[in-house]
Amino acid sequence: MSSKYRKNPFAGRSPLDDSPRAINRVVLGGALLSTLVPLVWMVFMAFQRPRAIISPTFSPEFSLSNFEDLLGPQKVFDEQILNSVVLVISATTICVALSALASYSLSQLNWHPKMVLVFLVSAGLIQLIPPMTLIPGLFYTLHILGLTGSLMTLVIVNVLINLPFAIIMMKFYFDSLPSELREASQLDGASEFSIFRLVMLPLASPGVAAVGIFVGIQVWNEFLFALIFSQGGEEAPITIGIGSLIQPWGINWGSMAAAGTMTAIPVIVLAIFASRQIVAGLTSGAIK
Amino acid sequence: MKILNFKYLSVLPLIAFTGVFLGLPLVQLVIMAFGDVTLRAGTFTINFVGFENFNRMLDDELFLNSIRVTLVFTVAAVLLTLLFGTVIAIAVDGLTRHSAWIQNIVVWPAIVTPVVISVIWLLILSPQIGLLNKIFEFIGLEKQIWLGEPTPALIAVIAVDVWHWTPVVFLFVYTALKGVDSSILEAAKVDGATYFVRLKSVVLPLIVPALIAAAALRVVMSVKAFDEMYLLTFGGPANATSVITIYLKRVFLESFDYGYGAALSLTVVLMVLMTLLVMLGGQRILRRRNVE
Repeated sequence: MSSKYRKNPFAGRSPLDDSPRAINRVVLGGALLSTLVPLVWMVFMAFQRPRAIISPTFSPEFSLSNFEDLLGPQKVFDEQILNSVVLVISATTICVALSALASYSLSQLNWHPKMVLVFLVSAGLIQLIPPMTLIPGLFYTLHILGLTGSLMTLVIVNVLINLPFAIIMMKFYFDSLPSELREASQLDGASEFSIFRLVMLPLASPGVAAVGIFVGIQVWNEFLFALIFSQGGEEAPITIGIGSLIQPWGINWGSMAAAGTMTAIPVIVLAIFASRQIVAGLTSGAIK
Repeated sequence: MKILNFKYLSVLPLIAFTGVFLGLPLVQLVIMAFGDVTLRAGTFTINFVGFENFNRMLDDELFLNSIRVTLVFTVAAVLLTLLFGTVIAIAVDGLTRHSAWIQNIVVWPAIVTPVVISVIWLLILSPQIGLLNKIFEFIGLEKQIWLGEPTPALIAVIAVDVWHWTPVVFLFVYTALKGVDSSILEAAKVDGATYFVRLKSVVLPLIVPALIAAAALRVVMSVKAFDEMYLLTFGGPANATSVITIYLKRVFLESFDYGYGAALSLTVVLMVLMTLLVMLGGQRILRRRNVE
């Protein structure tokens, strides 16, 4: 018997593991079913012939016609996917660059603690503002700058709404790096910028990746600003494309399910393989 | 000298960006709130009208309705996500195996695109083709028009929001449970406290701060909620699901009443701030009581 075991007879086990099995199974079964059934139903519908979807009886008929229809030559869906990809890449890159620089500075370059607090509190407060309330002011400002109606506008607003989160989370990662590293590099004659770029940024790369993945998902998912600042059609991102399939006077169920499936899959793949980064993003509010 | 330069240069892009794209719009918002704003031929004109926009709110039945709907929506959605999130977190924490993949799947709804979530739930709630009515028919119940009647529609959007955001509460509570000092629980176990007694008197008090943090975050999210309401019910029927963001969109983009919309926006932001101050104050008091 190892000494470690004697010290803690429950090592590695949860002290709540005597939970009633039956209740646990019901709760977890319910949670898994209610998570998966709606998703699976959409994917199932996406692969059904339109007439099978609207049939009053349950009569499945497997077909790829919804996807063929959605990606057909006269449709703009593929262009909207491309717009979304461009939007995600540019907004995420700008957001990560701005926040990495600023967070590194606040974390490692001896700012007065009060100034750091001002930055973090403002970042926290900005997150409280419902994006909808910013619209008249944003509209006016973008109007003056001549930036309305382009993908550029969407890049700007997406960077803006994700910056507060990115700064708080990124600072958290830079705080974990020892300050001696910078001092040592300084003695070697490295400039401040190269210390940031060649020493600190690579060391913080897991954090940078986590922020990047989470911001990327947020940008991919964004709907409100796209609805207000884009012209629709082939200029719009994918969320608007799906939204336009949902019309009060008649829904094209098959295309809608196929579009939803194609939009959800990249996000769920990320959820499977980058779950640690996503969990860090979702719980970052707890750091405050 | 060099360090000074880089120190300030490194935050400059951030400050410039937020100054232009957040600072200016916020200043504009405050100015507009006290004016009558018209957009004609691509130019904004603002005539100052004092507090008139704020006075208008009190007689605006649609605004008062949207506040009521937002309140009902927020209270119901926040409480239900707290309940489900906590129960699931406790169940996953009780597992000795399989917890990793179960945790992974349970989190999915929180990151699926909100527009897609609307698609998913339309495919379930549609009166003609929806899964729910198919199930109802199968077990011999009457089909329902879920999104077509005021109360069922409000219940439906709350249910969709709960499905969407329970994972966030789950993660907060699960993280807190992992941080609970197991020696306290072992001591209680050795003393003969049953599972439920330990849950109620040991675990629950220890995770209250996490629950309040999750609740605060969820309140903010609920006030921001827009996508699902807009796509599932468009605020209807009879404004039953017209939360504040839906109403604001109407004022801005259908009435083009920017001045009034700005005043409404300011009011909403202040309301959110006040709610959070109260909640965080409550958390302080609870923490102090726990320490004593």
